[in-house]
Amino acid sequence: MELADRAVGFLLSLISLSIFTYYTFWVIILPFVDSDHFIQQYFLPQEYAILIPVFAGVVLLCLLCVFVGLVMLKSKKKKA
Amino acid sequence: MKRIIKIITLLVAVSALWIGLLQTSVLPHSYTWLLPMYSIVSLGCYGLLMVGVGLMRFPTCPHEAVLLQQDVVEAKEFLKQRGVDVSGSD
Repeated sequence: MELADRAVGFLLSLISLSIFTYYTFWVIILPFVDSDHFIQQYFLPQEYAILIPVFAGVVLLCLLCVFVGLVMLKSKKKKA
Repeated sequence: MKRIIKIITLLVAVSALWIGLLQTSVLPHSYTWLLPMYSIVSLGCYGLLMVGVGLMRFPTCPHEAVLLQQDVVEAKEFLKQRGVDVSGSD
């Protein structure tokens, strides 16, 4: 049981560290690299560095609202 | 109320710093535009990292779990003798 917890925790920290390094590379280091370096093909165009977090934030907000709405509906159904 | 004022003051200070950075152009312009987005993403990453590390280091106390189960059994017996329904369904 605690092994599953440890595995999930390890996976979460790995995901967060990889997202952080990828984003740091993308936003800070990549403008300094020449445009014909081989590493440029591993990164999307720079506009996506803004679009993807904004899109993820909007999706998160929508999911939050849906969750709140579902909870309110369920509580109202239980009371009636 | 005080907490909201504190949060708003912090937000105003950070945005003033950002607009000041924009005007005086200490950093290159493209970097200054991306700075708020970068800080939000890194804050989210930091939160996720703390959650992961906390999950990994969570202490389980198996000895206390056994004692707790014994306490639950004792309490159920006690309450059943007094006539309270302890079948455990909602």
